[in-house]
Amino acid sequence: MVYTKKSPALFIIGIVMLAIWYGAGNGMLDGYMEHLAAGKKYKYGAELISIPLYFGILSVVIGAWQWFGSHTEGAWDYYSSTIAGGMFILLIAMLVRWFVAPEVAVVSMSFGKVGDTGKYIHKLLGLNYVVMGIVAGIIIVNVFRVPEWAKNGVRLSRLGLKTGVILLGTLYSAAELKNLGGLSIIMIGFFVLGSVGLVLWMGSRRGIPNSMGGVLSAGMGVCGVSATVASAPVVQAKSVEIAYTIGTILLWGVGCMFLFPIIGNLLDMSYVQFGAWAGTGILNSAQVAGAALAYQPDGIETLKVAEIFNITRVLVLPIIVLWLAVWYVKREENVTETVNVGRVIFEKFPVFVLGFILLFALSTTGMFAPANHYKGKYFDNSNVKASKMMTDEQIAVLTANSDKVVRAERKAALARLIAERKIASIEDDATIRGLANSKVMGKDSGKILKKAHKAVRHTAKKIKAFRKWITWLFAFGLVGLGMQITLSSMKQAGGQPAVIGGVVGLTKAVLSLVVVLLIVSETI
Amino acid sequence: MENKFDRGSALSIFGSDRKEDFMALVFALVIAFAVYFAY
Repeated sequence: MVYTKKSPALFIIGIVMLAIWYGAGNGMLDGYMEHLAAGKKYKYGAELISIPLYFGILSVVIGAWQWFGSHTEGAWDYYSSTIAGGMFILLIAMLVRWFVAPEVAVVSMSFGKVGDTGKYIHKLLGLNYVVMGIVAGIIIVNVFRVPEWAKNGVRLSRLGLKTGVILLGTLYSAAELKNLGGLSIIMIGFFVLGSVGLVLWMGSRRGIPNSMGGVLSAGMGVCGVSATVASAPVVQAKSVEIAYTIGTILLWGVGCMFLFPIIGNLLDMSYVQFGAWAGTGILNSAQVAGAALAYQPDGIETLKVAEIFNITRVLVLPIIVLWLAVWYVKREENVTETVNVGRVIFEKFPVFVLGFILLFALSTTGMFAPANHYKGKYFDNSNVKASKMMTDEQIAVLTANSDKVVRAERKAALARLIAERKIASIEDDATIRGLANSKVMGKDSGKILKKAHKAVRHTAKKIKAFRKWITWLFAFGLVGLGMQITLSSMKQAGGQPAVIGGVVGLTKAVLSLVVVLLIVSETI
Repeated sequence: MENKFDRGSALSIFGSDRKEDFMALVFALVIAFAVYFAY
């Protein structure tokens, strides 16, 4: 069978990409980019004048050959025929990331921030390019159908996702665990493992497929999109199951984000208690931050505690991926005799999980960023550039407003900042962030404090590069994944995932509330 | 859907999951090395 279609499609895709590159490079898109940036600098300017050029040239050259050349059966024909579909997915991912998602953000921002959460609607609903990529894929397959020439390439999406998952390992570091409190590790360990176990148990009781139960357990136990995507190939989840899981998590999180602060206020919880509860009970990182800021709009103490719990949860991801890999192999292969377990796992264990663990281990050694980094960000006040040290004018502004600071630890951190002209320690950094957020020192001082915070917070260049690769691989994979979700497959999956997700989410929220109220007595 | 592709499956262009895993691993390591030496 000859797979390559004699179609102008890939050639045209290449022309469209080159047109985007040309328009961006020659200022023709400046007005539109300015509109999308909404008063800030357009984030994707550098990408627009590089990525479409490389892939545009590639598409035009191979597209011309596919259109006019003669094709014979063989390995070259088979593999090169996937390029048209691959570039089709990539073009959709580009349009969503560069234009559609920023446009949605502009519309969302026009409505203003939601209450005290300090966040816009699109942030709280998790409407980013990832979710929109899946939606775009679903619309294409259900409204327009995937064209014949693209069908072979759509099957590349899982390869893209797996490659992205392996690279995801670089973003985390086990060394970060030592910066986290014992309480967060115990609580998160208990609730993450408990949630995963509960979903798997309920899934088997209610007869949902192992793949659905597996992917939902990671999503409900760990957090949002990354955990879902990382575990999906491990349990061979279908496209529709992944989309269902992401939808369930985001909807559940939205409900929690609004309910948690109300309950917290009713119970008169301390900042530490509420932060611990939000970080344990809410699933999506942005939603955790939204709830914490809604509970304490004038400070950062709640947010800090919630972030620590959130980070701890994400760091459990490698363990969950391993657990699910073993669980799935055992369930699917019906392993009953213990002698079989080792052999079956060896034969069926997903190799890409080992790649993920390998890069996680390398990241922990400090190969890509200082070992205590989290997603590439780390504290270091030893190499603050002279230009980023505080100036005499800035010191004068802070000194003039220092009387407004009441709390002792804030006063002390501010005194050290003024004396050393830079933030003295990681603890001071958190305190100064809280002081800036509380706005007690006025607008000018707040800006200076935020600058001081930025001067000691660094982003590793290598991790930044990895993040870009992961972003594109996920965007590519998820658009392709959306193209495999038909309405009939959604009907087939039914409403079970939402029911199980709701029950497990509620159980976790209630139990973690009880545990927090019983154990956490520290107050701020 | 299966008979549409005489190689691979409806979800993958590769004949087996393990082959796809290895390809993903190769791509990821190539990217990792490129990033490590370029930045």
